[in-house]
Amino acid sequence: MNPTISEIQEDFSNENIATNELISIANLEFSALSSKYFPTHRLVILITTLIVMTLVLAIQYQPWAVPPKELKVVLEVALWVIGSIGLLKYLYSYFADPKKKYALREQDISYQSGLIFRKTVSQPILRVQHVELKRGPVERKVGLASLQVFSAGGAMHTFEVPGLDYDNAENIRQYILSHKDLNQHG
Amino acid sequence: MDNELHSDLERDCEQTSQSASHTSTNNWQRISPIALIYFVLKLVKGIFGNFIYLAPALYLSYDKVAENPSFWLPIIYGFIALIVLSAVLSFYFFQYRLSNQQIEIRSGVFSKKYINLPFSRIQNVELTEPLYYRPFGYTCMQLDTAGSIKQEAKVVAINKRKALQLKDEILAAHKPENVTTNTEQDSPEQSEDEVVLDTRNLDDLVIHGITNNRVWIFIAGLAPFIDQISDKIGQWLYLFGFNVEQYFEFEGKSGWQIATTAISLTLMVMIPITIFSIIGSIIAFHDFKLSKSGDRYIRRSGLFTRNEVTMRLSRLQVIVRQQDWLDVLLGRINLKFEQSNANFQQTQPGQLTNKIIVPSVTRKECQFLIDDAYPENQLADIQFKRVSPRLLVRNLFIFVMPITAIITSFVYVDQPVDMIIYVLVFALFISALITMSYLRKGYAVDDNFIYVRKGCLGVDYYCFPIYKVQQTSFKQSWFLKQRQLCSIEFVLASGAIAIPYLSEKIGLSLINNSLQQVEQSKKNWM
Repeated sequence: MNPTISEIQEDFSNENIATNELISIANLEFSALSSKYFPTHRLVILITTLIVMTLVLAIQYQPWAVPPKELKVVLEVALWVIGSIGLLKYLYSYFADPKKKYALREQDISYQSGLIFRKTVSQPILRVQHVELKRGPVERKVGLASLQVFSAGGAMHTFEVPGLDYDNAENIRQYILSHKDLNQHG
Repeated sequence: MDNELHSDLERDCEQTSQSASHTSTNNWQRISPIALIYFVLKLVKGIFGNFIYLAPALYLSYDKVAENPSFWLPIIYGFIALIVLSAVLSFYFFQYRLSNQQIEIRSGVFSKKYINLPFSRIQNVELTEPLYYRPFGYTCMQLDTAGSIKQEAKVVAINKRKALQLKDEILAAHKPENVTTNTEQDSPEQSEDEVVLDTRNLDDLVIHGITNNRVWIFIAGLAPFIDQISDKIGQWLYLFGFNVEQYFEFEGKSGWQIATTAISLTLMVMIPITIFSIIGSIIAFHDFKLSKSGDRYIRRSGLFTRNEVTMRLSRLQVIVRQQDWLDVLLGRINLKFEQSNANFQQTQPGQLTNKIIVPSVTRKECQFLIDDAYPENQLADIQFKRVSPRLLVRNLFIFVMPITAIITSFVYVDQPVDMIIYVLVFALFISALITMSYLRKGYAVDDNFIYVRKGCLGVDYYCFPIYKVQQTSFKQSWFLKQRQLCSIEFVLASGAIAIPYLSEKIGLSLINNSLQQVEQSKKNWM
């Protein structure tokens, strides 16, 4: 039905999960995110920071009225804080983004992230409620998508893989939707 | 013109819709313009949270605005324009389509969103009619899967007749036993085959009121009047010659005077709170009856509004056996049967519809109820394993160090000698609490269940069937990796349960085993 499934199936590592042999999440075969994601993410951080800083500057130096003195001090501090947060985020994403990986197995999908605090979230596919692809304006421009997988675990525990190539994300989505256990079991 | 834009949009979103629309029959539809009001209100609510909390600030800032209108007015007008504009855009980009037993919703202005929900996955259909929809016969239809609440499909404004029709269609696509039955009635009827498992008497409820803070039942209801009430109390106290300000003047008073003041103040606060808590407990749990009919648990209680909650045994996610420190002393337990959280998050805090609480039961009754729900569980006699002592070390480091440092820096200026005593007492107190909390932490596992114990002065036990796990996560910082430790978390439909600082090997095997049980048994979680 879907020609792309065979492509995904090459990545599988837990085929023998039904034969009672326990397969560990410690030796998942991870796939990297799209190579377009890393520069894009950093660019988004940079641009967002610059936009917010420009807004603050615009309020400070708008020509219509003289802002109160206290406000000026607050704005100045805000400018520094925003700038340094942006810089830290930029640096962090430079080192942490390449550590973000996902692994698709027959029965579950896992996502690993974190630089110092590493975290591997595993989502069994038969517990999936629905799947969404989220695409912001930048993501649409460069052809990326975030995959969001919802289980009954609630909004706090939405399984999300950012920075996938759109086609790949769509394939994974289709794979999850066409999983044989998905529609029989809530 | 509308059609033009429409086809424009069609083309724009063709990419998205292609994936799921091989069999589509209907076209994308836009909702009624009445939804504009909804979007505006939603935005305003989203920005300001609650008007009530903001009102004083707005009132105060009015003067400032009046003083300098040329600076503030453009900002305010711009702000309003922005809200209206984004409401119009949200409305414009909101479209839905019904086809082949599924609903698709497209929304979002900048961040496009596309939801595809087959009818068979929808657990609950909720129709809400805000005041401004009523004259026009529209309704807001929320479709709950048991998934996350924020991302649910919501058709913001739909003709009521159509909504009802659609609701029937959706529920018909379902096996009938999957539909939730949560009803609130004035006179709940008891059917013939019900077995009463537990009832609570007045004395149990008084104990429950003392040991558990049920004041919030009042606070939730009284919140809008809290200012007036505190004013009234102040006036009333003054009438009796009680000057509050005088009471708090410590200068020229000896140590024991200050101490008695503190004690009497605490009592003055505690006694009313306890009384209110007892009343709250009676209001919530009066005439409590837990019964079972087939595989359904039915809880009825309440003084004013009789509240009836029905829960199928299969919907039970986790059993929580909770004891505060007073409960430990009195030997009472609060037993909670928790089910999926997602459908009930919007209900008021006073309504406990998502769980069945059996308040202040004795040890024996508690065990009877737990065994009734899960006969094979071993909560009563399983051996719990401790987590790594490094957790204790870390917590002491994180919590005690900064606090002692702060106190030291404050007190040192005045009395360098007394300082040592203050700091020692405080640090010891905190360390004792942290140590208690470490000793309480424990976990155990058998073939079917995972058990987790935690608490500090009190103790809570969690017990859940492994196959009900929704998602797992394995966390390991660089430091933990050096020590071959890890923290793990199991996400259930009722919430997450974490086990910190256990050995890497056990953590991995718990997760692998859980994933395998979920995926291999293919058992439904509800």
